Amino acid sequence: MTVDELDPLIHTPARLRIVATLAALPEGDTVSFTRLQDLIGLTPGNLITHLRKLEEAGYVETQKTARTSVSLTARGRAALADYRAALLELLG
Amino acid sequence: MSFDTFGTPPVTEREEPAELDPRSAAQLLDETTRQAQRQFDPRPPFLTLVAAFVVLIAYGSVWLSVRHQHPYAGPTHTALAVLYGTLAAWVVLVIVVLGRAGSGIGGRAARERRISGIAFTAVWIAVYVFQGALHHEGVSDAIQYGIYPAAAPIIIVGGAAATWEAAREHWQYVAVSIAAIAIACAGAFTGPATVWLVIGIGLSTIVAAYALIRFALRAA
Repeated sequence: MTVDELDPLIHTPARLRIVATLAALPEGDTVSFTRLQDLIGLTPGNLITHLRKLEEAGYVETQKTARTSVSLTARGRAALADYRAALLELLG
Repeated sequence: MSFDTFGTPPVTEREEPAELDPRSAAQLLDETTRQAQRQFDPRPPFLTLVAAFVVLIAYGSVWLSVRHQHPYAGPTHTALAVLYGTLAAWVVLVIVVLGRAGSGIGGRAARERRISGIAFTAVWIAVYVFQGALHHEGVSDAIQYGIYPAAAPIIIVGGAAATWEAAREHWQYVAVSIAAIAIACAGAFTGPATVWLVIGIGLSTIVAAYALIRFALRAA
């Protein structure tokens, strides 16, 4: 296992924080875009960019009703679990 | 959907440098997870610790007002004012904390929390409606102003809480609820005055101990 084998979609500071924050919610819960932005501390533009990448990979999904909400998909949770396991393996 | 529909100006993608070594990544993951869990936690340890003090003040004030009564006549108006004033302040604090933790949160678990709020409010109301029925039937003051109001809310609401938490496999809350029920049941045997002291000290000790355990778990 090498660093290059870590999931590149998660292995950046911003996306790692997004995915870890969404994973802290109970399964089935969503968080509004504005609350997520407050928690992560990114500009709206940067957050949108990172969320779009994660959404394209099927790691997050968004719902837009009166407000836009974001949640981690089952695939996203599995990817984070794999990423965490890979990190532990790398760190021995 | 596309995030561009926010009306946010188009941005140039700013990819962060991939300088994240595994140790930093693990640290960032751990810190972010802890921070998010704290932000989303509707029952933070400090709130639990405050609950322990609320129980002690509310039950303690009533016990101080009834401890020398022979025969038992019930709490004084001052003691009741302290009891309900403390409880009201506690309810306001809970609403504020829940509002902050749940801000922007939606979905299934959030709906469950709202439904549980309605159900538990109904249970609380039922406890006091039943006390009205006891009064209507002319039950003794020792029961209707002593043993029942001290022990019944803990036993009935605690039972509902234990069932609710067990269904969600929240075993720590189940254990605390059952311990509270046990204290209330034991206290009910000690008489209309002492029951306030026993439950006040017993319940506040259990709740404070649980808060300290949660503080320790967070720090670990």
